[in-house]
Amino acid sequence: MKKFLATLLTLVMVLSLAACGGEKGGETTPPPADTNTETEAPPADTGSGEKTAIKVIAAEYGQNTKQWWADFVTEFNGSHDDIELTVEAVSWNDIYTVVNTRVANNDAPDILNIDVFADYVADDLLLPIQDCVSDETYAKFYDAFLEQSNIDGTIWAIPDLASARAMYYNTDILEAAGVEVPTTWDELKTACEKIKAYDSSIYPWGIDMTTDEGQAAFAYYIWNNGSDFTDASGNWTLNADANVEAIEYAIGLVKDGLTNTDPANETRYALQDLFGAGKLAMMIGPNSIPTYIADNYAKANTPEEEQISYAFAAIPTNGGNASVSAGVMDRFMVFDNEDSDEKIEAIKEFFDFFYEDSRYSDWVLMEGFLPATSAGGEIVAKADESMAPWVEIVGSCKFYPTAKAEWADVKQGVIDVEQQALLGGNVKELLDNLQATIAG
Amino acid sequence: MSTKTPAAPAEAQELAKKAPRPSGSKKLFRKVEPYIWIAPSIILMAIFIVTPIVKVFQLSMSKVTRAGLVKGYNNFENFSKVLKSPAFALVLKNTIVWTIAVVVISTVLGFMLALVLNNKFRGRKVARAIVVFPWATTLVIQASAWNFIINKDYGTLNTLLMKLGFISAPVNWTPTPGAYFAWEIACGIFVTIPFVTFCVLSGLQSIDASYYEAATVDGAGYFQKLFNITLPLVKSSLTVATVLNIIYVFNSFPIIWTMTKGDPANHTDTLVTYLYKLAFYNGKQGEASAVSVIGFLILLICASVYMIYTLRKGDDDL
Amino acid sequence: MSQPANAVKKPISVKKTILRVLLYFVVLDVCIITLYPYFAMLCTALKNRVEIFSGDNILPVTALWSNFIDIWSRAPMAKYMLNSVLIAGGSTIIAMLCGIPAAYALARMKFKGQTAFLGFVIVSQMFAPVVLLIGIYQVMQRLGLTDNILGLIFINAAFNQAFTIWLLRGTFMGISTEMEQAATIDGCTRVQSMMKVLLPVAAPGIVTTLIFIFINAWNEYTVALCLISTDTYKPLTVGINTFNGYNMIEWQYLFAASIFAIIPVVILFMCIEKNLVSGLASGGVKG
Repeated sequence: MKKFLATLLTLVMVLSLAACGGEKGGETTPPPADTNTETEAPPADTGSGEKTAIKVIAAEYGQNTKQWWADFVTEFNGSHDDIELTVEAVSWNDIYTVVNTRVANNDAPDILNIDVFADYVADDLLLPIQDCVSDETYAKFYDAFLEQSNIDGTIWAIPDLASARAMYYNTDILEAAGVEVPTTWDELKTACEKIKAYDSSIYPWGIDMTTDEGQAAFAYYIWNNGSDFTDASGNWTLNADANVEAIEYAIGLVKDGLTNTDPANETRYALQDLFGAGKLAMMIGPNSIPTYIADNYAKANTPEEEQISYAFAAIPTNGGNASVSAGVMDRFMVFDNEDSDEKIEAIKEFFDFFYEDSRYSDWVLMEGFLPATSAGGEIVAKADESMAPWVEIVGSCKFYPTAKAEWADVKQGVIDVEQQALLGGNVKELLDNLQATIAG
Repeated sequence: MSTKTPAAPAEAQELAKKAPRPSGSKKLFRKVEPYIWIAPSIILMAIFIVTPIVKVFQLSMSKVTRAGLVKGYNNFENFSKVLKSPAFALVLKNTIVWTIAVVVISTVLGFMLALVLNNKFRGRKVARAIVVFPWATTLVIQASAWNFIINKDYGTLNTLLMKLGFISAPVNWTPTPGAYFAWEIACGIFVTIPFVTFCVLSGLQSIDASYYEAATVDGAGYFQKLFNITLPLVKSSLTVATVLNIIYVFNSFPIIWTMTKGDPANHTDTLVTYLYKLAFYNGKQGEASAVSVIGFLILLICASVYMIYTLRKGDDDL
Repeated sequence: MSQPANAVKKPISVKKTILRVLLYFVVLDVCIITLYPYFAMLCTALKNRVEIFSGDNILPVTALWSNFIDIWSRAPMAKYMLNSVLIAGGSTIIAMLCGIPAAYALARMKFKGQTAFLGFVIVSQMFAPVVLLIGIYQVMQRLGLTDNILGLIFINAAFNQAFTIWLLRGTFMGISTEMEQAATIDGCTRVQSMMKVLLPVAAPGIVTTLIFIFINAWNEYTVALCLISTDTYKPLTVGINTFNGYNMIEWQYLFAASIFAIIPVVILFMCIEKNLVSGLASGGVKG
């Protein structure tokens, strides 16, 4: 009993100390904090004076993103005396952690560049994007892209770039194994078997079912089996028979030893590295793969004869369905921070500046992505011939149903289903359960 | 660092001023004095640990939206959701396996290593310095390195074994989730051993050699000496090292996160990685907080058992 | 297992030779296994990407020392280093400033709630910083310490209090009070007697504690990741993640940078290796 009392006493004491200590800490600490930061480097955001401050958090797409934004900020602030822009480029590994912590603490950025948006809409955190973009800029986007950010008739975000997927194959390996480029699932399986028979140290087919991007695999197979995440009226149909068939096919490839060994842990980037090293014959990947592989060779001074030769083709399909490319689109959204009119104007300035045609195509080309505006598309197609077919593809590919509120759960859910199935679970049962949790 | 040093004497002086205050209420002062001494520590922990803990408890009982907004008390719904989730039992099991395996094996190996290093031999200093390496390395780096080493396709372990002729084709070191988890445990053990070793070494050093001499005269064998002299005398160093280890290992995050992120399908998740995923990947901060409260309760029970056990035994020690 | 050296002294027997050989064998194995990851890191850091993914060689065909130079231009490594030193150093100082008086009070005074305080110290360790991220961020924001090295200093200091207090309390209790009493009689105040008499005697324990906190703070990753957004305030642990980016893990740079991150700590550890054992011994980490 005595110990209990003592514990209670200390707790009370601690709490009361915390109460007055908090203030004390707050008062005494800032001075050293200031000297610290000031002696170290000129702080990035002291613009508390007359200037309108805009804070942007942007996804770091690759090695060039940070520098690109740094140059952008210098240029933008140089030409806008009344605006103080700060851009923080955060890697994809950390961006959700960073953004969620900020939002939870009422410290949301003004503009966010990320892939998801529906959760923020659900919490009334965003401004309708049309209010924050000048009409001129708004008119530049493909309508189909804007529709992807439509919830209940309002457009909440604008696309900053897109990427599309296709099947890449190592021409040398396919030739040596005597395989034609597969266009159907049956052909694909035969091709894989032939490649394996030709050289068992080569992985015929790459599959990524990791937490990183397992939903992409799900989409490739169900879309090319003539099915989808939802039906025409937007109801979830995760356990549709065609979906079960599709995932069973994919898992079957793994089980037959025709793929990379550990799809639950090998991300697409690992696959790309294997592909570039000539250890993987075929994989589904984004349009940025050539840039990626060329970069690697350039950095490594790889002699020409050691470089792989490869090409891309439509993703194989099943049951005579037309091949569907999976599109991925990232977005800009504006947080409702009870902004003044000047701030909204400043945000409009930001977007006008960003989507200015030549600057925008520069942004897109920087990491080998695809543009989301028609003008940008033309410029990119002209600037880089190899991009032209992709600009075509991206206009017609399917996207994840990111505008639906349950998407985040679905995304995790299908990844979990894939991984369970890899461990021997029954695909039908797993998808039935998932459908029940999501829709029920 | 230099900017901080001036602050150091200032705080000490403040204490110095308070300590010898000559007044009639000297008795009262005697009573209050200890609290002044522990005050800085308490304030520090209260602000930077207790407040966040309170916040986590609060979140665990609130409805939190995906974007992180708190929408009021929700009647332990987070807890029931967590406990109902099929993944939770698996994760809990993993956590227990992870903690026990890492702590027990690293304690045993660390203890044996300490016995070896306690011998006098040429190069002992170098050996001791080398043993400390894993301790001095950031876990993220350590885990990345191991992940790279055991990779099937380009890992250095396969390359090495192939060059040495032990194997002819690359071996897949992680064919099942269990195997991957075992590697993670191995990595955990690898980084925990040095801490145990040095705690035991410190205990061994304080043992008087005369005990052993007396025992030798009495004709005691090696293992008799080990169990009758060495173990009882290093027990106290070992106990504290073990308790701290249990807490650190239970809460360890970077190894599993770097190597597998808990994949596939939660088969390598522990409570900490699971709740991190819940909070920052699935946007379920309420449930994540509930998981951390559950983890805390588990640790609290374990530690209470330990504390009751040791503190009762050594009350006069205080 | 081998014999303690002091156990068998006289007979230079076959048994002893075998034990010696066994001892060296064990020690050598342990050293090789321990060093292997570092060896692999170093080799990888000297290769180019294509060679790494070919997985054909153990040693690089031609050592690309330029990787070690490249990282300094690809990321503000010097800044990261400096930040890490500031954070680890600052945390150590604050943790000691708060921890020494607390440990002293626990070792030298009797007061109500002593057990409870010790219990509280242990309990405070039961939440990993990862678990508390959201709460920590909120506190930091209220204090204006987000994206600030000082914030990390306080967090690291706070999360190292338990170890500091436990170890120092043990150290202090292991030291006889006679000298301090004598000093008090000579007119020293408590603070003076602690500073002048106790602390010098407790030096090994204090050094061990210092190093401990320093290393923990140096290696801290998750909180820094979340609190620091400006690139130039990042510590090494977070900074080297630049090479672990969206598109690819650049193993060669990641490991080259890692080696820079490891070196200072290893040197530090090697310097105090002897102290470490005696420090832990004096701390006794007695229950």
